[in-house]
Order: sequence, then structure tokens, then C-alpha cells
Amino acid sequence: MSEKSSTAKRGAYLAAICANKQIGERFYRLGLEFSGAGAEAFAKVQAGQFAQLDVSGAALPPAETIPEELADVAGRKVLLRRPFSFVDVTTKDDRTLVDILYCVVGPATLRMTTLAAGDSVSIIGPLGNGFRVPEGKKTALLVAGGMGAGPLQHLAKILTADFPGIEVIAFAGAKTAEELPFERQLDKIAQQLEFSLPEFAKYGVQSLVATDDGSAGFAGPVTDCFSEWLGKSDSAGESTVIYSCGPEQMLTRVAEIAKARNIDCQVSMERRMACGIGICQSCAVECRVAESNETIYKLCCEDGPVFDSKEVVFSS
Amino acid sequence: MEEKVDISVEFAGLKLANPVFTASGTCGYADELSDFMDVNSLGGFVTKSITLRPRKGNATPRIVETDSGMLNAIGWANIGLDAFVEEKLPVLEKLSCAVFVNIAGETIDEYVAVAERLSGEQAIAGLELNISCPNVELGGISFGTDPSQVSEVTSAVKKVVGEKVLMVKLAPAVTDVSVIAQVAVDAGADALSLINTFTAMVVDIETRKPVLANKTGGLSGPAIKPIAVHLVNKVYNEVAKSLGIPILGMGGIRTASDAIEFIIAGASAVAVGTANFIEPGCAVKIIDGIKKYCVRKNISNVKDLVGSLDQDLTE
Repeated sequence: MSEKSSTAKRGAYLAAICANKQIGERFYRLGLEFSGAGAEAFAKVQAGQFAQLDVSGAALPPAETIPEELADVAGRKVLLRRPFSFVDVTTKDDRTLVDILYCVVGPATLRMTTLAAGDSVSIIGPLGNGFRVPEGKKTALLVAGGMGAGPLQHLAKILTADFPGIEVIAFAGAKTAEELPFERQLDKIAQQLEFSLPEFAKYGVQSLVATDDGSAGFAGPVTDCFSEWLGKSDSAGESTVIYSCGPEQMLTRVAEIAKARNIDCQVSMERRMACGIGICQSCAVECRVAESNETIYKLCCEDGPVFDSKEVVFSS
Repeated sequence: MEEKVDISVEFAGLKLANPVFTASGTCGYADELSDFMDVNSLGGFVTKSITLRPRKGNATPRIVETDSGMLNAIGWANIGLDAFVEEKLPVLEKLSCAVFVNIAGETIDEYVAVAERLSGEQAIAGLELNISCPNVELGGISFGTDPSQVSEVTSAVKKVVGEKVLMVKLAPAVTDVSVIAQVAVDAGADALSLINTFTAMVVDIETRKPVLANKTGGLSGPAIKPIAVHLVNKVYNEVAKSLGIPILGMGGIRTASDAIEFIIAGASAVAVGTANFIEPGCAVKIIDGIKKYCVRKNISNVKDLVGSLDQDLTE
């Protein structure tokens, strides 16, 4: 997690499915259990790292349960693995339990919904570089858009466990209350402006919610909520670090806010990727070359997915 | 019985432990694969495309999945010849399998410059001439679809490669692939590799734009396998067999059965491509599967399988 810790060795492992719980209309939480070498590799995983799942062999759900907008793509044969980051990682005896938060968006995630306890899935990982904790930070601000809340929950857990001197505050946004990837308790508190999501509260982390349509928490983009909060806060720029994960448009805005206030900021980027292990060169992220006007393509899978926001040339 | 099966092959004068390669662009510069397989267990290894100068490659999205396949438009993103020689060759030098470097360029001079520099390198068994990449504005497929340019670039490179095996990688979407194959061999190709990807497009119907930033990309994966088997068989029958030119067959190989189809159709060796993205160690399983097939079929030498397609349908 910190810059001094070692990165786990990547490999191809088989994980047992121990849970696959629907937590919202489109959101699921998949529980995976590793033993042996896989348990060892995934025990040391950093928040923000990811793994490639092969779900091509999973069955489709019954036709009548397939959302209409996915009906056309549902039957497509899945070829490539799909990358996922982790919402939680725990170790128990000699096993490692890894939870993945996913949203049903296409043929692969549709198939994932039918995975059940007793099934197994092939996983390549852990991959990439996660969030880092620079020296001297006293405040960590987590800014999540939509599914970006997954790895930031994992980060909240690690920060509060391993860095007791750092105060952690989370901001989570989505278009609507329905699209916040949290368990359904939201309905009861949807009208409240300030509350703490249980997902973050369990680590003692205060959180603020924003929805574009105002159906939960702050009415407007999470970046406005964040910016407003920063304006009122007395956190010093140099002792603060921002961690963000979400749509690129949101990351672009977070990076601008961080730059204007001269705060360190790390963003988790997303790209279409085939291999995830640095071979296919698909997941290029345009990056500035220090002290020049030149840019180069780095790989989201190997150089990222977490990048320093100053380095990234955002595409939206 | 298994011990008695010989799956070693001779490929353009090279002695290979087995007929399985990994294909250019799907196995990096070898070190990337080492967490997943022993690269030395391969018969051969083909690096990603190397150009004279480093190339950034195309904008993203660079890939999109399709039914049983994928499109890529990477655009020869690579570290360039100098960095390749300095940083990657020392790794490749340690490999015991046959190493081919895939070389590419926008002009014939660029191909020649890269080939000339690499021809003296001990680590390299041969060069694969990429004249069939569909994803670059200049060079690539624009050479590979024109017989006179195939001839010109192949003979120009042949003059500078010395003892290295010169393998020419063919584009599949031409009027007659055998015409191109014949021209390449006449111009000095020691081996042929086929097929490269098919130029293809996926449209986003919401935006009415192509999904790929490059608009088009090369289709690979299981979707193209039957076409690839057919084209290998065609080139084997019409060009390679009579001239004793070996074919490195590829296109959608994921399993030993896939590989064996290509060998029966006329490939002396096969290359695993897109499957490396999904199962990075699958080449090892394929090697093992070929051996098991030979045992089951009482074939003592895999060479006997090459081009053994029984086309007599009267039985």
C-alpha cells in the first residue's frame, strides 16, 4: 500500500465463488475465495489494483430476466477477460477472500450474475499499480463516481487500518440515487443532505453523497459537492491527498480542482483492455512527459491504472 | 509411446523443439509472458513489430470485442529499433526457442534499415516481414496487397538479412493470396506466415461513429479460424508444397485441435495469437495436446501430419 510495500506476484489462479449478491437493480457484489498460491498473491493486493476474470463459460440468466436494453448483446459469445478492481480483501486462515463490485452492462457482466457458490472462475492478477500514500499526508479525500466507489472503499479500509494519522473523508456521486452502487438503505435517507454511507462508516470514514438529479444527498455533480466542501475546509494543500475513481469526465474535473488548489491527486483510469498484462497495448493512456510539451502513451494495465493526475492528458 | 513421438520440426533450416510459436503482437518481447509460462518450451517466438524509430501508436479505443473475435488498431506502438536492441535483445538472447523479430516500416528503406541492423544479432533466428498490418496509414498492408511492392520490399530485405530466415507475413484479404505468396517466395522469402488480421469495423449505433479511434481495426480470434485454415491450405497446395517453403499458420488458434487443423492443412508450424490475451500459458497446453494427438493417432513424427489433408471425398 505505501510506497515501501512490495507488489504481489501476478499469476493465473482459480478462485471459488462464495457469494454473488445483488445489491441494487444492476449492482452485484461477487465474493471470491483463493487458496494456496492465489491466496498468497491476493493477500497483499493494493487498493486500486485489479484482476482479469474469465467469465466466458458462465451461463446466461433466463431470457425473461435480461434487461431489454441488453437483449441484443446478451447472446454474444464472450472472448476476452474483463478487468475488475476490488471492494474488499480479507484473509482468513490460509485463504484470501476478495470481493468485487460489478454493474451489469453487457454480455460478460450479464453472465457473471449466474455465478453461484460452488462455481469457480479463472483469474489473472493481481495487476497494475494501486493508490499510493505519499509521506506527510494528514488528510485523504476520496472522490468516487458511480462504480468508482468500489476500489475507494477498499482504500478507505487500508488507510484507516494502516495509516491512523490520516483523516479520511469520502465523496460518492452518481446520476441518481438508484445508480449509487451501495446497498439499498439509501431510500430511507435519500432526502438527507449529509449522512454517512454504511460502506464507509464501518471504517470510521465520514462520507458525502451527491446525485445529479438531487434524489439523494447533494443535488449536482459530486465534483461540485467536493469543490464546495474543499472551499469550506481548512485542510492544508500540502498535507492532503485526493484519490479519485470514476468516469473520465469526472476525473478531469477532480484533477482541475486538485491543480487549482495544489493538492496531490491520484486518479484511477479505465480503458478497454484485452490482456491486462502489458502485451496487447490496447489500454493506452496519454501522459505528459515531464518538463516538455511532448506526450507518450502509457499502459493503463501496467503503468496504472492509478496515475498522478498531473501526468494524465484526459480525453474528455 | 509418448516418449517415442517426435514433435520437433524443421522450419526453413531451423531445428525447432515443437511446431508452436506465439504470434507477433500477442506475446510482447517475451519477458511479459514469463509469469505464465516457460517461453523456452515454445518452438518459436515472434516479437511485436519493431520499427526504425519509436512509435506512439494510435489513439484509444484501440480494441473492441466482437462475436468470437476482437478488432485491434494499435498502430505499431513500439519502443523503436535502438531501444529494442539495447533493452529487449538481452532478454531474447537467453531464450532457447527460435526468436523471430517482426519488422515493419513506412518505406522500403525503413524495412531495410531495421533488417540490416538485426541481421548481425546472434539472438535472432529470423525476421518476420510485416507487410500486412491493416492499422497504419503508411506501410503495412499497402505493401502486402500489391504484388510488385511485395516483390520489391522482400528482395530489398533479403539482400541484407544474411543467414537469417526471412519469413513474410501475408494479408488475407487479397484477390488471390497464392499470387502474393508466389511473389514473396520468388523475391527470396524462406518461409511464409499467414494469416494476418482482416480489416474490419464496428459501429456504435448510438453515436453512429466507428468504435475504434482508428475507425477500422484488424479482426482476429476464433471468428477467422476457418478462413485461415482454408488460406493456409490454398497457399500450401498452390505454392509452398512444391517449393518446399514452410508455412507458419495462424488465425484463431486456442487449442491443440485448432493447431492440428492448421498442420493437416499444410502448416509446418503454428502460432498462437489472440488466445495469449485470454490464457497466457495456452501454448504449453497446445504443445502437449499435439503430442497426445500423435500418440492417439499412432503418428511417430509430427512432420508426417503436415499437409496430410485427405481431400479424396469419394471414400
